[in-house]
Amino acid sequence: MIALLVLLIIGIPWVGAVLVWLTGDSHPRAQHTLAVTAAVAAGLVSLALLPYTASKAVVGFSLGGVFGDFYFAPDGLGVFLAVVATVIGSLAVIFSVDYMRGEAQLGRYYGLVLFFIGAMVGLVLTSNLLLLFVFWEITALCSYGLISFYNDDPKAVAGGMKALIITQLGGVGLLVGAILSYSYLHTLDINVFLANAHTLPADVLAMLAFGLLIAAAAKSAQFPFQTWLPDAMEAPTPISALIHAATMVNAGVYLLARFYPAFENVPYWRVAVMAVGVVSALMAGLMALVANDLKRVLAYSTVSQLGYMVYAVGAGGIFASQFHLLSHSVFKALLFLAAGAVIHSVGTRDMRLMGGLGKKMPLVRAVFVIGALALAGIPILNGFWSKELVLEVGLEAGIETGTLWMWAVMLFTAGLTALYTFRCVWLVFYGEPRSELHVHPAGTAMKIALIPLAAATFVTWLLAGRFGKMLADSLPFHKIDNIATNTLAVTILTSPATWAALAAVGLGLIIWWQRAQLTFFSEMLAGVGHVAQASFGFEAINRWIVRQMQGVAEDLRGLHTGNLNWNIFGIAAGLVVVLLALALGATR
Amino acid sequence: MIGTVALIAILGLLGIGLYALLIMRNMIKVVVALQIMVKGAMLAMVMAGQVAGKAAIGESMALTVIVADTIVAVVALALAVQVRRRFGTLDIKALSTLRR
Repeated sequence: MIALLVLLIIGIPWVGAVLVWLTGDSHPRAQHTLAVTAAVAAGLVSLALLPYTASKAVVGFSLGGVFGDFYFAPDGLGVFLAVVATVIGSLAVIFSVDYMRGEAQLGRYYGLVLFFIGAMVGLVLTSNLLLLFVFWEITALCSYGLISFYNDDPKAVAGGMKALIITQLGGVGLLVGAILSYSYLHTLDINVFLANAHTLPADVLAMLAFGLLIAAAAKSAQFPFQTWLPDAMEAPTPISALIHAATMVNAGVYLLARFYPAFENVPYWRVAVMAVGVVSALMAGLMALVANDLKRVLAYSTVSQLGYMVYAVGAGGIFASQFHLLSHSVFKALLFLAAGAVIHSVGTRDMRLMGGLGKKMPLVRAVFVIGALALAGIPILNGFWSKELVLEVGLEAGIETGTLWMWAVMLFTAGLTALYTFRCVWLVFYGEPRSELHVHPAGTAMKIALIPLAAATFVTWLLAGRFGKMLADSLPFHKIDNIATNTLAVTILTSPATWAALAAVGLGLIIWWQRAQLTFFSEMLAGVGHVAQASFGFEAINRWIVRQMQGVAEDLRGLHTGNLNWNIFGIAAGLVVVLLALALGATR
Repeated sequence: MIGTVALIAILGLLGIGLYALLIMRNMIKVVVALQIMVKGAMLAMVMAGQVAGKAAIGESMALTVIVADTIVAVVALALAVQVRRRFGTLDIKALSTLRR
């Protein structure tokens, strides 16, 4: 039964992907229907899997030898992320019916989206490191294909390539981890690895821990790899909501959370993870404050919020990080989809050209404001509870590890989040219209996708207790406090961290409200703004690396003679080197 | 004794084939060199089968190689004919269009 459900969640989207592809682009109606059916079916099946979480593998096949057993284990962490991927995936697909209406090549679009959903589910449910790596790369490939969906736009193509290259770089870290695990423990099974990690030599374990941190940082667009996510915004907006806000970018956080028990005692690892989160959160927050492109603001805020999750993992709060992940997936998908409705309606992403759109699209304004309030951390919305939980865990870890300054930065970032969120809402929906934009209201399919997400923003935090229990029951190696929702709520409301954060949020709000009186303040910070607009020099570093690579390639071009004799010589020389290496390895 | 002879033959064939591949510029001769090398490899398979006491496997591998190798030769020679007709030369250096 469980085995069938697991296979169905991966199988339905993949079969759907093939069918949509085969339907052909001359039948767009059939393609829309098929894609929505497959996505919704996968979402329903994954919800049906929720009561059956188990820590043991339930289905799979054994390849034997080096590859190990390709098994799927539906534990709490995996099932939770599978539900997020498929439910938000189905809403994004429903939204696409309106957003992509009339676009050419829908087969490619829906095919990749459904392929992605299946791969994402596989990624979180598998218990085999190598299979994890395979799914990890499939999601990267789909992300690349969808960012570059408008393949006649050079910016979209460049953004896709950038995302692919940077996430591949992280994938190497994961592959190295898998190989090290196999060569020292003779297993690729994650649970066996977690049980035996303490037997590894300290330096190998450290290498693994930091390798996986690099993989996670690249996938989750964390410092210093954060540059790919803003450029990924060239993708159609439902894709940004699904892949670049709610699911794929969470894979890094998932990886860190999954392997946390093995690495928590590696020297400096926890502090490094926290530092990555803190730096990303702060930098991305500042960049969000100065960006003028609506989707880029949301992308920077995604990086910033992912920073909170990574920080929470480093602080030891696995539950806090996953809880914030849940909240963030819901409200950020909502924000992106609402932004998509705006962009689809007015045809531009530049917030300087918008303004006063609220009167013309009241529903979109309402849901966007709900999402924005959740992002800013205003009480009773889900973002409030999870962010406060992260900050509370961070405060404890800060006292324990002597990193209170990190907590202070995160608190500051909470205020910053409120500030840039209000700026964004104001620029788009309030004030006077700054240019003549033709506006049409959101379509039915868009509303069907937006309203459940807006409702979920109010209620997902009520599931905290059950969610914690699910994680605690099915994750044998993680220490997760199993507390009921009401106890959790009381804990959060009575924690000093909460009040400090609320004060920061209030301060952010006041600064935005009083911005006219605070011009001296903004002038003072103009320098920071300029640096933030230049993405703190990371774009320049990226370009420098690309130029260096091109230079090296140009230098190596001399080897590319096109002469058979030289090629044969190269092959023979390579063979000799391999044989020598093998001979040396055999004698050692 | 027969093993030593076979080993010398294998190394000789492989060596001659490699040497020819390294210096030949005529496409037909390249194909011939390749054939010589493959014959060495084939002999090595048969011998490896004998040494490991699994003669049948070694010989059946060799038979498989004969088939594959013949196809390679046929296709390569057909290509060579077309190249000669189209470009008027079989010199692989002259045929290369890569900028240097």
